This record gives sequence, C-alpha cells and structure tokens, in this order.
Amino acid sequence: MRAFDARRLPGFTTVAALAFVFLYLPIATVVVFSFNALPSMSAWGGFSLQWYREAWANEAVQEATVRSLVIATVASLASTALATLAALATVRQGRFRGRTLVYGVINQPLVVPEIVTGVALLIVFGWVRSNTGYQGLGYLLLAHTAFCIPFAYLPIRARLETMDPTLESAASDLYASPMQAFRRVTLPLLGPGIAAGLMLAFVTSLDDVIITEFVKSAGQDTLPTWMLGQFRRTLTPEVNAIATAILALTLVLLTAFFLTTRKRA
Amino acid sequence: MLKTLTALAALLATGATAQERQLQLYNWGDYTSPDLIAKFEAETGIDVTLTDYDSNDTALAKVQAGGHGFDLVVPSANYVPIWRELGLIQELDLSRLPNHANIAPEWRDVDWDPGRLFTVPWQWGSTGVAVNTSAYSGDINTSDIFLSPPPELVGKINVVPEMNDIISLAIFNVGGEPCTEDLDVLRQVRDLLMAAKPSWLSMDYDSEAKLSANDIMAAATWNGPSMRARLNNPPVRFGYPQEGFPLWMDSVALLSDARNVDEAYEFLDFIMAPENAALISNYARYANGITGSEQYMDEVMRDAPEIVIPEELRGAGVFLPTCPASAVDLYSRIWTELQGS
Repeated sequence: MRAFDARRLPGFTTVAALAFVFLYLPIATVVVFSFNALPSMSAWGGFSLQWYREAWANEAVQEATVRSLVIATVASLASTALATLAALATVRQGRFRGRTLVYGVINQPLVVPEIVTGVALLIVFGWVRSNTGYQGLGYLLLAHTAFCIPFAYLPIRARLETMDPTLESAASDLYASPMQAFRRVTLPLLGPGIAAGLMLAFVTSLDDVIITEFVKSAGQDTLPTWMLGQFRRTLTPEVNAIATAILALTLVLLTAFFLTTRKRA
Repeated sequence: MLKTLTALAALLATGATAQERQLQLYNWGDYTSPDLIAKFEAETGIDVTLTDYDSNDTALAKVQAGGHGFDLVVPSANYVPIWRELGLIQELDLSRLPNHANIAPEWRDVDWDPGRLFTVPWQWGSTGVAVNTSAYSGDINTSDIFLSPPPELVGKINVVPEMNDIISLAIFNVGGEPCTEDLDVLRQVRDLLMAAKPSWLSMDYDSEAKLSANDIMAAATWNGPSMRARLNNPPVRFGYPQEGFPLWMDSVALLSDARNVDEAYEFLDFIMAPENAALISNYARYANGITGSEQYMDEVMRDAPEIVIPEELRGAGVFLPTCPASAVDLYSRIWTELQGS
C-alpha cells in the first residue's frame, strides 16, 4: 500500500494552479499597469516609466520612503539583536518550566490582531506624549521593534535547534572561555539564521500599515500609510509604481532569505 | 548624500527643536494643494507639516488619545458636532480672522456650526450620479440611475462604498427623511438596494479612472471624480438626483490643545482669501465656500456643471446631520447585508 500523498488526489493540479492564479494575478496586474502610459487600470496605452518618474519626483513619496527605510533598518537591527538573545536563552537552556509560555509570550505579535496592538499602543503612547511632549520617531521605532521580534526569532531559533551542541562542548574542552566559544563557534554557525531573521524583520517593518497608522506622530507617514491616504480619491498609476517598487525590494530580500537558510548540499 | 543625512537627522529630532515657526496640519490624504502650502510657507516663513488620515474615525481616535501634536484638523460636517461636544476643538477668535467675512452667506449659518464660530470652510461637494451620456441619453438627475438602472446601464455601474452617502440616496429615493428609523422606509431601502446590486459591476472608490476608460458607463459618486472623469472623457455628466442628494463639507478646525495657535490663525485667515481658496479647489476639484474665489480658479472649474448646482435642483441637496447611534446601527445592518450579497 502506498502512503497518502496529496499530489495524487483528484484535481490536485487544477486546484494548485487556481490557487496560484488567485494569489499572483492581482499582483501581476498592479505590476503591469504601473508601466502603463495611460492613467488607467484597464486600458493599455503602451509602455512608459512616467509613473515611476512622477513617484520619484514627489516630495511626499521621497520623505515617506526615507522614513520607511530608517524605521525598517533600526527596527530590524534592534529586534534581531533581542531575538538572538531570546533564542539563545530559550534553546540553550534545555527544557525548563514555562518554556512553552515563554515561546507564546515572545510570539505574541503573531497571534494578537494588529488592530488590537494598534489601539493599545495609541492609548499608551497618547498618555506618554501628553506627559512628556516627545513627538519624535521613537514611538514608531519601539512599536516596529516589538512586532518584528517573532519574525526574527523564529528562523534564529530553528537554526539554533539544529546546531550540534557538542561543538560548543568541544570548544570548551579546548580551553575556550564561554565568550570565546560563543564568538568563535556559536555565532558564526548561527550567522545564516541571524541574517534570515534580519531580512524577515526588515520586510515586516517595511510593509506594516495598521500599527503604524495608529502610532505615527505628526508628519510621520511611512510609504504604506501614505499610499493608504491616496485611495480615497482615485487609484493612480503612481501608487501602482510605488507598490511595484516595494514588491521588488521585498522579493529581493526574501530571495536572499531563502538562499541563506537553504540547506547546504 | 548630505541631503539624506540632514533629512535623517531632522527625522529623528522631530519635536525636539522648535525655534522655527511651524504648523501641524492633519488632513485627508491627497486633499491638500502643494501649491497652497508652498505659497503659505513662502509668505509667512512658517514650516507646515502635513499628516494624512483616511477616515473621520481615524482622525478622531488619534486626537482623542491625546499627545497628537496636531494644530488643525479637517472633519466632515456631520463630525464637527462630535469634535465640539468632546471639547477637542476650540472656539475661534474672529477678531484674528479678518477674512472670515469672505465666507459665502450660504456657508455661514450652517447647522453643524451656526455663525462659523468653530470651523472655516475647506471644500464642499455633492454625492450624485455620473453618467456617460454616449451610453444613456435619458434624464440623469435621478438616483434611479443606479437604484433602478435603465437597461443601457445594467452591469456597467460602479457604486462608491460609502455607507452614509449610498443609504441616504436610497432613503431619499423612496421618499424618506435623513436619519430615518422608520422600519417600513428602511425595508423599502433594503429591498431597493438588494434588487439593484446585481446590476452593478463593482463597489469601489475608483469611479474616475473607470469612467475615463469607459470601463463603466455610470457611477454613484462625488462630483469631484465625475468632473475629473469628464476632463478625460467628454460625454461624462454629473446628475443631481431630484429625489434628494447628500451635500457634504469638510471644514478646518483649531484643536483645543494646539501648540502653534498663532500660526494656525495665520493659516485659517490665509485659506479664506479668495485667491488661496481657489488653489485648494484647483487641486482637488471641489468648490470651497469662499466668495470671490471663482475668478482665481482654473478655467475648467469656473462654470463647471459639477460645481455649480442648477437652480431648480438646489433644493434637493441635503446636508446629512449626525444620525443617532440607533439609526446608524440599522443602516450598518443593511449595508453589511448589501456588501455581503
């Protein structure tokens, strides 16, 4: 008797093909029409880079882009550093009481709906703002760092769990101090996991809309919240162009993520 | 590179340095003329920061949470009483606003702000129907265009997904009053909308592009998108439903905890000067409520049929009041059923 195999179910190919069409056709439409010479979402008027030029020259887009990149860089670096420490503490410790609870707490942003976090942060930060008067980028940096942690944590933990702990023991046997063993053995082996976590966190921060919309202070629109503001009037191909650019950046980072986590032959 | 670094430094320091005179404007996305801001900054030396919101509710929630840092906000007419009752906006000192006299008489004593003591006009418009007259040549001044569509338009209609606007058009169509809670009227409204929905192609905000490209031949939408579509596609006309149609106005209000009050007053007075109000209209293509601004508007705006409501249909325009929660609850149920069907 053969084992169960989903690929042998009747209609598997059709369902799979349809799923891919539904997933990618809308995205392909946005990409294609971002190169449209006409300001239309349906009629094709020839190839043009006009909307990319307009988006590039738009001061609001420039500012939002710089802000998005600054936030994503800071938040991904900070959350990856914290996630690395958390992974070392939870995995290297062996099993301990409440480990499942700790996992749950670290991964909280994955399960709590974003709108809940957004409203909660709005209230807390509103209180902090009223009492300190601080209106800087700090609120967004803190919020993004917090919800990026699980995205950085998961690949790092996965990497750590498959690493051979006897290598560290061997380093200790050869008189490496704990710090030396960490820097010379653990960290280099963990490298691909950390790099993957960093990229995943970066992409997560770059794409966020809901929490950012609630947390942003005056004049702190990021690229996604700026795009959201444009939708009320009309969808311009300029927004398509920006969406395509974000998509391209995300794809590059995810490809890099895939290459760094891929099993070595 | 140096420019980027300076921008970065400025980003991180927001709120820390304040020697420069500044103003924080919190407004709908894609609604504020960049020319208007540039002119104001050049004339006054005040640095204006613009932040976008996408709904009245978002703006209200953020300001209510406190510590927002904004000075001016632009709520819709039916939200102004809410802002006032919550104490979030302050009464204006009219002696500091010499241009207040420029507010057109019909926009001065409005229900939501009698005497204009709290808000000054930003832009106003109508919700009606846009029709491509090459596809349908009958009377377009009726909400039947999308509620009981003629055969020529079936399957070629887009309806803007704004609950208040669409439910109100349907209530007026069956002869009801704004904010009605009469269940018989609402049952008719529900049946009318449910029966009409199969004749619609879509429910989204993008009427302008779709009308321009002949993807649709009619829409329930605002006068602004309809006009912009006509400029791309000449046969498109805007109809003012004679059964009744919603009018709306967004007005600028000074927040109670504004920190740049002097700058805010300068801005409020500035936008009530006719030549500046015209800049607002030229950008978003809506009228502004300031007397004498027409002469500074782009030529295509001045006598536009989407801006100037025909005399005989003026009486059909209704400013939607703030409906009680019980009415909104009933409308939400119809709306949910409509969107889910």
